[in-house]
Amino acid sequence: MFQSFRHAASWVHTWFGLVLGYVLMACFFFGALSVFDREIDRWAIPASRFAPQPMPSFDQVLRPVFESMQPNQASLDQARTLVDGPLPMHWDTPKAWTASATHRDPVLNLEARWETPNARVPDDVVGLRTINPRSGKALADDQLKVGSQFFYPLHHNLTLEYSITANGRDLGKWIVGCAGLVMLVALISGVAMHRKVFREFFTFRPGKNTQRSVLDLHNLTGVLALPFHFFFAFTGLLIVAGSYFPVTDTQLEPLHELHEKMEAQETGLPHERAGVAAALASVDAMVSEAQRRWAAKGMAGEVGALRLTHVGDANGYVSIFRAGTDRIASVSEGIHFQASTGQVLREDPPQTTVGGIADFLVGLHLQHFRHWLLRGFYVLGGLMGAACIATGFIFFVEKRKKQHARAGAQGCRVVDALAVTTVTGMLVATLSILLANRLLPEALPASWLPRDRLEICSFWTGWALAMLHAFLRSGAVTLGKINPAWREQCWAVAVMAIAAVLLNWITTGDHLLRTIGAGYWPVAGMDLSLLVAAGLAMVAARKLRQRERGQKATGADRARAPAGAREAVNV
Amino acid sequence: MSDELLLAGAVLFSITGFAWLALAMDPHWKQVHGSSQPTPRARILLRVAGSSALLLSLILCNRADHATIASLVWVMALTAGALLVACMLAWQPRWLWVLWPWGDRDKRSR
Repeated sequence: MFQSFRHAASWVHTWFGLVLGYVLMACFFFGALSVFDREIDRWAIPASRFAPQPMPSFDQVLRPVFESMQPNQASLDQARTLVDGPLPMHWDTPKAWTASATHRDPVLNLEARWETPNARVPDDVVGLRTINPRSGKALADDQLKVGSQFFYPLHHNLTLEYSITANGRDLGKWIVGCAGLVMLVALISGVAMHRKVFREFFTFRPGKNTQRSVLDLHNLTGVLALPFHFFFAFTGLLIVAGSYFPVTDTQLEPLHELHEKMEAQETGLPHERAGVAAALASVDAMVSEAQRRWAAKGMAGEVGALRLTHVGDANGYVSIFRAGTDRIASVSEGIHFQASTGQVLREDPPQTTVGGIADFLVGLHLQHFRHWLLRGFYVLGGLMGAACIATGFIFFVEKRKKQHARAGAQGCRVVDALAVTTVTGMLVATLSILLANRLLPEALPASWLPRDRLEICSFWTGWALAMLHAFLRSGAVTLGKINPAWREQCWAVAVMAIAAVLLNWITTGDHLLRTIGAGYWPVAGMDLSLLVAAGLAMVAARKLRQRERGQKATGADRARAPAGAREAVNV
Repeated sequence: MSDELLLAGAVLFSITGFAWLALAMDPHWKQVHGSSQPTPRARILLRVAGSSALLLSLILCNRADHATIASLVWVMALTAGALLVACMLAWQPRWLWVLWPWGDRDKRSR
């Protein structure tokens, strides 16, 4: 079928890359935003603009909150599909309580779990709450954390939570998984196709014709960030591997259960409830004991996560994990206490080599570390990935545009319009949700959708309009010219980004002089990035205008592609 | 030395290291110096200096952070450094002259 391996690699790279590239574009871009998801949350929820706190007192602050928690509506709705009879009106005997803090989060995320009674397959319902750790007061439920609750899920499951397997709500997860696999294939086939990986290592010739300079940029952003691209696609697949190979829930479930029981015997941490009620000793005392033990090992640190298993039972135990801000593994050095007495049950032994490698691979993707330079580098890597994919689309179009124009084919027109949708259109959508977040009033009339739903609607509406616009304006491509939608959407991005900064100022009073003056970088950084994005979008729009003009003067046969797309991607 | 200084040094060495490695290549040497290629001795010197700078960058990363973090910071610093060198070669190649002023442009123009 193919003359050589290189031809085969080229075919795979082109066509698989084209189809799943649109998904990868979203994975890379929203992944890059997720590096600073907590900072985006601060921008979107002005009430939470205060400094991060360490884990507050469990006995004083967290315990009363946990005791008042009930499952969330969404979780109950899902449980209903698994249970034939009615669900309990009031949920008591929680299975576990978990509190997790990060060094970037001023608010604290709490999770309570209950076993779903009479479920056809064993399942839990969850209750989630976000509190202000200084007062224990809950944040309003309809306040969408735009970064960690929307951009981050977009990155790993596109927020498509429809069930396609027994595991549930996983359509998006599978699409992203396929895209991740194709990313690995595209990297290998890309290197195989590229004849001059080292000879053209630094080569970018912006002055050459568009097809040449776009290919240079595609190679440059692909090769220079190759370790990043490879490790993030690979570790991303690794983290979700349990969903793609759900053997522990299917074929190997009995073995999995047995393993859990053996492990419980080995570690002395009870696997089941005893069925005997027991009081809870002071957890704060356990926390200070854990911190004393970490300090004695020369690893003094803060609590990253705290979990109480078998709540209210004689078999209950408290696990305290150290925040891994100074290394890649996210949490570690767990110490477990008997909940009723506060006795130490077990101290996790040093990690095995294999476990250490697994922790490293997962941790490098989930990034709990405290290292701003590395975070910045991750954003750079993510944007280089997005630029690599976008230039791939443009190269595809450039290579075939004239040929298609002569033959009257529509292929390039569609690919180009979809490229506009996923490059500038994605930015329009992102800015739409930020604008909606600042424009919607704090309290909405009761007849409206909840605030968070409206914000998400504005995101998809913005994206749909950008797509419509891209297709309506795509006629130029059939004549071998640039789709003017590239330029027009660049202007839209510039205007929207500046409007977002102004709206933040008007609605919260936090303008750049104040936030920079106070050294409040989460919001200052967000505003500055928006302004840089606006600036780049304007430069891109002007360059596109020049190219369109040049094209008119010299005729359609010297058609050139949107060079500005590159700048637009780098936003 | 503070961690910030160590990391700034690591990034700087990544940039200079890649700049020297690029200068050891004929097309980039020509972009910067105008003449066709470096002398064989200059080419070896550039390669040794470039590789040593990248290695030094790793050592500085390792002094600043736990080894697990340092390995990632170094790899990403290499990516950023190489990208910056590529951009300079594309738009302002003469800036790299500073890092290796011993070309033969003067001889040629005479």
